[in-house]
Amino acid sequence: MLNLSLWVLLLPLLGFIILGLVGRMLSRTGILTVAWGAVGLAFLCAALSFLSMLGTHPDSARTVDQSVYTWAVSGTFQLSFGLLLDPLSATMLMIVTGVGFLIHIYSAGYMEDDPGFWRFFCFMNFFIFAMVMLVTADNFLFLLVGWGLVGLASFLLIGFWYQRPSAVAAAQKALVINIIGDFGLMLAIFLIFANYGDLNYQAVFGKLNSTAVGGGTLVAICLLLFVACAAKSAQLPLYMWLPDAMEGPTPVSALIHAATMVTAGVYLVARAHPLFELAPGVLYTVGAIGGVTALFAATIALAQLDIKRVLAYSTISQLGYMFMGEGVHNYASGIFHLTTHAYFKALLFLGAGAIIHSLNGEQDMRQMGGLRYKLQTTFWTFLIAALAISGIFPFAGFWSKDDILGAVLSQASATGNFWFYVLWAIGLITAGLTAFYMFRLFFGIFMGSYRGATGATHTDEDVEEETPHHGGKVSYFNIHEAPSVMTVPLIILAVLSVIGGFVGSFSLIGLPNWHPLAGFLAPVFATSETPLGLEWISTGLSLLLALLGIFFAWRMYGRGFQYRENKNPLYQLIFHKYYVDEALSLLIVRPVLALARGATHWLEGDALDGGSRGIAWILRGTSAALRRVQTGYVRNYALAILIGVVLMIAYYVVVRG
Amino acid sequence: MPLSAYLVVSAILFTIGTVGVLIRRNPLVIFMSIELMLNAANLSFVAFSKFLDSADGQMFVFLVLTVAAAEVVVGLAIIVSIFRTRRDIDVDDMNILRG
Amino acid sequence: MLATQIAFFVLAIASIASALGVITFKNAVHNALSLILTLLFLALFYLQLGAMFISIVQVLIYAGAIMVLFLFVVTMLASEAQDTEQHDRIPWQRWVASILGLVLVGALSYLLFTGTVTDKNAMATSANSLSHAVNTQGNIEAFGLALFHGFAFPFEVTSLLIVVAILGALVFGRKA
Repeated sequence: MLNLSLWVLLLPLLGFIILGLVGRMLSRTGILTVAWGAVGLAFLCAALSFLSMLGTHPDSARTVDQSVYTWAVSGTFQLSFGLLLDPLSATMLMIVTGVGFLIHIYSAGYMEDDPGFWRFFCFMNFFIFAMVMLVTADNFLFLLVGWGLVGLASFLLIGFWYQRPSAVAAAQKALVINIIGDFGLMLAIFLIFANYGDLNYQAVFGKLNSTAVGGGTLVAICLLLFVACAAKSAQLPLYMWLPDAMEGPTPVSALIHAATMVTAGVYLVARAHPLFELAPGVLYTVGAIGGVTALFAATIALAQLDIKRVLAYSTISQLGYMFMGEGVHNYASGIFHLTTHAYFKALLFLGAGAIIHSLNGEQDMRQMGGLRYKLQTTFWTFLIAALAISGIFPFAGFWSKDDILGAVLSQASATGNFWFYVLWAIGLITAGLTAFYMFRLFFGIFMGSYRGATGATHTDEDVEEETPHHGGKVSYFNIHEAPSVMTVPLIILAVLSVIGGFVGSFSLIGLPNWHPLAGFLAPVFATSETPLGLEWISTGLSLLLALLGIFFAWRMYGRGFQYRENKNPLYQLIFHKYYVDEALSLLIVRPVLALARGATHWLEGDALDGGSRGIAWILRGTSAALRRVQTGYVRNYALAILIGVVLMIAYYVVVRG
Repeated sequence: MPLSAYLVVSAILFTIGTVGVLIRRNPLVIFMSIELMLNAANLSFVAFSKFLDSADGQMFVFLVLTVAAAEVVVGLAIIVSIFRTRRDIDVDDMNILRG
Repeated sequence: MLATQIAFFVLAIASIASALGVITFKNAVHNALSLILTLLFLALFYLQLGAMFISIVQVLIYAGAIMVLFLFVVTMLASEAQDTEQHDRIPWQRWVASILGLVLVGALSYLLFTGTVTDKNAMATSANSLSHAVNTQGNIEAFGLALFHGFAFPFEVTSLLIVVAILGALVFGRKA
């Protein structure tokens, strides 16, 4: 089997290094050659490896652990940097490099006026490298390295426009919350090493049955792993950074905060699933948190006015779905939704980016409207994406979302546990809400009349905080469609959003043996098939709710988005995102800052500075006192000698006596 | 007389010499007090020579005497060269090394 | 026995008194003369202790040569103002030194009186002992024998020392 995973890792690193060192001096073409070349070739290598894997027939031969460099040897423990190429990592590589490549192409158009053009592509290549490391590492330690590096890449890219204080604050927030996750991952790795003596995936998973580890320890390991996933994939309670991360350029939001980095958590649960299988309680907790987060984020998305914020909460919600699927032992469904979500969410973000680009930076939905005939390509691709995410047959989202809901329902009926039914109901309701807010967004942007340059501005104070105005308003006449370097990726992603679901299970339409993705991932995790009857129930209900959602959205916004200030307390609650940020500021941020101020004043000022000043004072005082011994009179010095002599003799007197 | 008697006299003379060094400010008187201390030590040596019945004590005295003579010569030369031009000679005038 | 004891006490008191005189007189010449007296009393002590040569040498060299040198310098550096002892810049030194002196003498006396004394009789019969040499050959001869047999090297070194002292005096004596 052809294994080019090392090239997939090193090519973007090379691109990063070249752009980092000389990017400033290269021409636009030069920068693009390096950036596109690095990721494009990486995608090519990933594709070749994937195809060769498809051609490798005994399924067990599809897993290759390639050790690249032996890093540390200590006694019988050997830690080496290696790359694991198996169906799961091959899938992830295709998504990362493929969608990454499309977004690199798109960014050439989106960032064309930016003075930091070279820096952007430098960081983007670095991100691809870090994500590939995360996905292909064959042991937990280098997973952690990749985990941290993608956090760094996210920080660099969110804060790309570093002269904006809001961007810097958002980048800091993302980093701080991600570090909580990194810490959880580190503790989990310590525990794994302490209990299993090794960090290589295959070694650890091989020892799971033979090594007796206390149930409490397993729960701890899995919970800590999930803390890391919750931070990286923006689940409750560590989701707050993702909406703020929209301060970064839109391609960044598309790549990192929709398609790839935030899916690292889903990948980790799938990769470490043997551990999670040993602690089912934690696994079900994962599913439950996923479900609750999905519902929570969907409710917030109902009232947001900034188009990127809507998409951010939508991402959080869909990630919740992925964890729901994994939480009922159906890891393949989670990964499947990961892939389809990458297509349509990236498409949604890139489309939003095209809109923002055409409107010179406007992101507030209230200033849009009636763009249907001005932005044709964007209109159709956005529609396809909206239909996909709402789970309408036969678009990609339908297959993956129903896979998940069907799995939840089958788990519910298999165990008879009431809470699984609740989880399933939550999934259904969220599907309806997803359709609703997505089409609210769609109609609000494209339908009705344009509310832009001549539109009324609202001076409602709540609104001023929520939607910072970045750019000037463009008059309707001046709006034109984005250049083809931006629209071609949109079209490609739209095609994928249509056909991407066809690798799922076709049992619903009468082809029970057609499940290519699950079959491909079978060497990694075994998947149980959902009983057909339950599948029909679940699919039917979710489709019905989605259509209802679209219908209500059309009723309310079909003729365009009319913003009315709504004083309904429930509305205010979700409009202000449940006041979570304000609560955190009050509970955590202010006390910590007060503590820091106190420490600076008391600890550093009084104790440390005062202590060192005090020591100096003591020394100076002592030396001043001692200086008085140096009188300069010889007779005094002779007296000192006599005192010494008398002391010595007195000693003998005392000893003798 | 027992040995300790001579030694006590020697001790008393030595102490008187020490106190003299510390109290007087005329450098010549200080020097004389130093000579007194040396002589007190000589007395001890001779007393021990008698009581231990050995010539070594007297040898030491002989050498101390010689060295004392040399020391007086050089010391007085130094004192003369330092204090030659002064009206009042006071050892406390040499206090430039005060801290 | 009684005569030696009386002699001892008289000499002791006399020498201590003159020593006190050395440190107390105001006039430097008086101090020098007191020192000469003390040295003479010490020479008498040496006589009592049987060190004939040393006592003579003490009178000749110490009292005779060294003190004369002292007197020369005293008269050369005679200060105009008679009382150099006024305007003491460190008056407290006087008291501290006196107290320390008393402590010193007290401690030394205590140690001396409570110390053990070597029995001289154990060494009296040895052929190398001083009293043997004195009895057989006389006092000065005994001293000379000991000096040139055991201490010849230090004797030669002292001659070198004297040369150095002369050179030192010459250097200091030059005008410049």
